[in-house]
Amino acid sequence: MPMSGRQIMTVEEIRRAVIRISHEIVEKQAGTSGLVLVGIQRRGVPLARRIADAIAEHEGVRLPVGALDITFYRDDLSLIAQSPVVKGTDLPFDLNGSTVVLVDDVLYTGRTIRAAMDALVDFGRPRAIRLAVLIDRGHRELPIRADHVGKNVPTSREEVVKVHLVEVDGVDEVEIERLPAPLGETVGVSGTTG
Amino acid sequence: MTLEIGASGSPASPVPEAAIPVSAQAPAWRHRHLLDVDVLDWSEIELVMTTTDAMREVLARPIAKVPALRGRNVTILFYEASTRTRVSFEVAAKNLSADVVNIAAATSSVTKGESLVDTIRTVEALGAQMLVMRHAVSGAPYLAAAHFGGSVLNGGDGWHAHPTQALLDLYTMREHLPGGSVAGRKVVILGDILHSRVARSNIWSLTAAGADLWLCGPSTLLRGFDRWAAASPRIPGHGRFQVTSDLGAALAGADVVMALRIQRERMAGGLLPSLREYAARFGLTRERLAAARPDVVVMHPGPMNEGVEIAPDVATDPRSVITNQVTNGVAVRMALLYLLAGVHGEGR
Amino acid sequence: MSATSGAAGHAGETSGVGSGEPVREAAGRRAGEVVAELEITRAWLVDPAAGREGPGEIVVSNGVLEAVTWLEGAEAKGVGPDGVVVAPGFIDLHAHLREPGNEDAETIASGLSAAAHGGFTTVCLMPNSVPALDEPSVLARVRAAAIASGSPVEALAHGAVTVGRAGEQLAALGELADAGIVGFSDDGACVANPTILRNAFLYAGMLGRPIIDHPELAELTRGSEANEGYIASVLGLKGWPAAAEIAAVERDIAVLAEVLRDEPGARLHLTHLSTAGALAAVRRAKAAGLPVTCDVTPHHVGFTDEWLAGARRWAWEALDANGAARDPWLDGALTAGPYDTSLRVNPPLRGPEEAAACLAALADGTADALATDHAPHTLVDKEVEFGLAANGISGLETALGVLLAAVDAGRLTLSRAIAALTTGPAAVLAGWPGVVASGDIRALAQPRGLVEGAPADLVVFDRSDRWRVTPESLASKGKNTPLLGRELSGRVLLTVAAGRIAYEEGAAGA
Repeated sequence: MPMSGRQIMTVEEIRRAVIRISHEIVEKQAGTSGLVLVGIQRRGVPLARRIADAIAEHEGVRLPVGALDITFYRDDLSLIAQSPVVKGTDLPFDLNGSTVVLVDDVLYTGRTIRAAMDALVDFGRPRAIRLAVLIDRGHRELPIRADHVGKNVPTSREEVVKVHLVEVDGVDEVEIERLPAPLGETVGVSGTTG
Repeated sequence: MTLEIGASGSPASPVPEAAIPVSAQAPAWRHRHLLDVDVLDWSEIELVMTTTDAMREVLARPIAKVPALRGRNVTILFYEASTRTRVSFEVAAKNLSADVVNIAAATSSVTKGESLVDTIRTVEALGAQMLVMRHAVSGAPYLAAAHFGGSVLNGGDGWHAHPTQALLDLYTMREHLPGGSVAGRKVVILGDILHSRVARSNIWSLTAAGADLWLCGPSTLLRGFDRWAAASPRIPGHGRFQVTSDLGAALAGADVVMALRIQRERMAGGLLPSLREYAARFGLTRERLAAARPDVVVMHPGPMNEGVEIAPDVATDPRSVITNQVTNGVAVRMALLYLLAGVHGEGR
Repeated sequence: MSATSGAAGHAGETSGVGSGEPVREAAGRRAGEVVAELEITRAWLVDPAAGREGPGEIVVSNGVLEAVTWLEGAEAKGVGPDGVVVAPGFIDLHAHLREPGNEDAETIASGLSAAAHGGFTTVCLMPNSVPALDEPSVLARVRAAAIASGSPVEALAHGAVTVGRAGEQLAALGELADAGIVGFSDDGACVANPTILRNAFLYAGMLGRPIIDHPELAELTRGSEANEGYIASVLGLKGWPAAAEIAAVERDIAVLAEVLRDEPGARLHLTHLSTAGALAAVRRAKAAGLPVTCDVTPHHVGFTDEWLAGARRWAWEALDANGAARDPWLDGALTAGPYDTSLRVNPPLRGPEEAAACLAALADGTADALATDHAPHTLVDKEVEFGLAANGISGLETALGVLLAAVDAGRLTLSRAIAALTTGPAAVLAGWPGVVASGDIRALAQPRGLVEGAPADLVVFDRSDRWRVTPESLASKGKNTPLLGRELSGRVLLTVAAGRIAYEEGAAGA
């Protein structure tokens, strides 16, 4: 079931967006003190690492990076059978009093972020939680807003935004595709085709 | 919802490797019920193991509780007295935020002669969505599964099966064996094999795992397993196991020894002369354990008769992982409740 | 063959077998009605009494078998044993019709309907009713119910050996014999006490009646759930040793052999044998000239213990080329769920080797008869945990189909199969040569055959026509058979008992 997508971000645009977000994060915090980055599994994690690398480059400070798996916090059990593999949560630092920057690839309905915040507060009480995403495609279903956005992309609900990252997919690019088939068929393959 | 998952890529992206063909990403868990280990292929057993890893991580959290089964009714229906297994399931379900209903046979209408099928229909009408069941009659959970609209998880039936125990045993072995695998490892199950659902379920999982499995006990408690032992290596994906009453041969070089509980009532049927004689001939003592590998893993599904099938100093020996089994039991049961919760309707 | 065989009605009477296609529509005749005119042309006749089978035609007039014509030469061309078959009516030595006492499971009326649907024109009722048939008044009730049913199927009965089948005190054997029972049995249980058995042989022998024993040493089978062996081990079911049957058979034969010195009329019939060892013992006893007969059941011939694990292949399909049991897990033969309580039966379904021994015994005559051990149960008694389920399989209506499956597979000849349902059981009832049976047993249980001038007593079935076993297709109230959902060959088109319609395919109420 090949889908030919339209490229909306190139390697270079992704690189620049990550650097810009990294500057914004430090600027908003007025420094790096108390900052931790938490990537949401799967593609939020490499993005968080890239942001940490960029901050290390321009600030000379290496921020702690954690990985958050929100599988157990999803509100739709029917997805378990399709993708039961849990990728793991690793938060090797104390969240209490820290400023957590949640990092994800795409912000859409907001439900993933809602689940991620639920998960985070089970680990401790951060002073603040912020949100950084590579793409904001709109269509929010919850009152959630990103603090740092790589690119705002107007989409329709019939479209799929696919972020590919070298660490996961072997290539850096963002594509937008129109759903060609009933939903059930695309859920299992999105993120890996192409 | 579905669109978000497809679009954001984060939570639901399946296997990361782009090279894996689309067909390999078919739903990885297809079972609505778990009645025995025999229906699980090796990739499914591995999935249970990795999901158990995730549950162990949850158990290590400051708040060892996730909302995965929030709003789900898990009814625990036990027709046999049991504290350990029932509590383990209850803790597992509560760690997943499920609503837990406990029904002990002694307090239910079972004693008034209500049939199992009626009871199943009743608990379903009362809102049960997942049913954890223990029953003294082999095969009873199959009857329950045929009449229950949700998922049935077998918590032990008669002599037949105890799948969560076998899976937690496998998990515990992998955790403690060098290299994290039981393949080629000599695993000895010692004791009352004939009446043991633990042994039967372990036969399926350990032969699938490629263990060098030995069943050992007095001949009265081993009867009938030789033919299964002969057939097992011919079953696709399963290795051989053997049956012996020679404890020395069984323990020699063993990597894992699991002692099973000897029940007092076995003497009534003439299966054993006395517990004293059993302890003298088959009890797991430190002296006997010296024949095993120095780093042998000692296990027991509990509850133990210390001084009968296992000497007290062996039970508390550093090589004993009996309390790890209990902890892993919660994690495995969380993993299975979680996996079963995602399958409806057409699942098996 | 059905394309060329068939029957033409006389005088406007529609026959049960139309030319070309078997008739499906109601033929307008009701069960119990005398067969006025019936002609079946170009069918395959099997007459074990005459030792003959082949193309032929029959004519029934006013309930009497007027003519049996064997076709030869050009007339016989195109008529074979694979189409419509006419045989003498079947006799079942062993059926539980549950009345009195358990009419929710079966009644005499529903049981006789089931018998007719299965091609049986004579059934012997086992005495384990509630109360047990241990005195003539119970027999009178049974007879009254049989008459009230309007069924022309002959309902014979066995009486209990001991009072209440409790194994302690002889039942009213003489009174029961005088009232017309055909044998004595405590079936459901063995006559456990060998002294009681010994005396029962003597007394029943004096009356010219056989002792029909259910051979099972209860001490070996207490709590047993499934044939002891591989399958029971895997399923965690308590083993049911073959030795429990073999030892009881050996004991019965030893006791009989000694009794014969004092009472030459003593006879032993062993029912529902399920093991090679027991059949070998019977073979030896027969070779020694002892008056021992036996039967096997359709389920012990056709089904095996691997069905408990979920296999559904015939017993002979579960053997490899060397005659050893195949492994259902290895073969991927598990097509149904495990622990189906319709498979719980006493004696238990055995392994494929034992089933092969039962089939071989039918083929070589060691087993004199096929007996259904028809044991209907309510859903309440079967829809429970396997170990708590009642023992028994509803078998009257599927016995022919199971035997024909063996015939279709080339494991049994059609003539042996029919003999095991007709002359075999008739001979068991009629008695051992030289034994004078009192009363009218001989008249009731005459060796069956296609005898001109006698009341028509026959079954017509079509081997080329399959039917599906469903709760609706079974006339028995007992739907407890593992064959539900399965197709069997040999649809019964017509059963005529004592010159009257017992069953007709497509007829009202059938």
